[in-house]
Amino acid sequence: MTSSLVRQVLILAAVALIPGVGEAVYFRHKISWRSAVLPSEMVTVDQARAWGGNVIWVDARPDEEFARDHVPDAISLNEDRWNDLLSQFLVVWSPGKKVVVYCSSLSCNASREVARRLRREAQLPDVFVLEGGWEAWLKKR
Amino acid sequence: MGSVVEEKMSTTPNAEPPTSHAQLRVAGNTSDVKGRTSNILWRIVDLIVAVIFIYAGAIKALDPVQFASDIDNYKILPWPFSVALAFYLPWLEIFCGFALVARTLYRGALSILTTLILVFTLATTAAKVRGLDITCGCFGHASQNWSFPAHLATNLGILAALLVLWLSNRSAKPS
Repeated sequence: MTSSLVRQVLILAAVALIPGVGEAVYFRHKISWRSAVLPSEMVTVDQARAWGGNVIWVDARPDEEFARDHVPDAISLNEDRWNDLLSQFLVVWSPGKKVVVYCSSLSCNASREVARRLRREAQLPDVFVLEGGWEAWLKKR
Repeated sequence: MGSVVEEKMSTTPNAEPPTSHAQLRVAGNTSDVKGRTSNILWRIVDLIVAVIFIYAGAIKALDPVQFASDIDNYKILPWPFSVALAFYLPWLEIFCGFALVARTLYRGALSILTTLILVFTLATTAAKVRGLDITCGCFGHASQNWSFPAHLATNLGILAALLVLWLSNRSAKPS
């Protein structure tokens, strides 16, 4: 009975592998196995600075951290108050502008999530995540 | 008529009155009805659990990039493992759901789904304890704004349904 159970589990596990592998192949250009953000969607502080005035800096950190300090002219856009802040952001945004989103550090997820939502929900092109986040900015300041 | 029956009863050893046969038949029929009702109930539980997992799997299979990010938010696994699971787990849920509907590989499907729901519940609880504000991603956008208690209650409800299916006699019959 146990061997029958193990056999059933193995069959199901093996069968599920087939479409799983197929999907991995299908989505190979949409997701990176090395990093949560595609290399093409990452930008360094130096690269973003080189874009000059064509950049909108977006601070994805919580309100308190934004209030304490932020990149000059950055706009606060975090997931806690997404609907309120998104409308404020869209007033500033214009076609052709590059958007650089940052959060606290290399390990935070907020910038990635905000960047993803800007691409998907607001349908914005040219949205990038700042490599190293606020910490990297501070080092280069 | 009554006297003939009484006479036969008195002359036949261990004979039972005809009314007791009728009672047995009624009792048997009642038992059948109960059994059938019980089977239908288990089948409904089967289908509810199956639909939940097929739906949850399909939603995630349609957007594995988002699901990988949701898994990564738990901060338990390295990113490559999150990606691998994002491609694999939705299909495992879907196939197990269909196995419950078709009653094929039934016990295997129940084992996998019970393990999955236990792992999801533990991961969610661990994330809460560690103070992580996460999106569970269990049901795509539908579960994006679920609170921790709602998330936990759903998981425990599904776990209870799976355990009921395990414990029911019915689960022994399918292959």
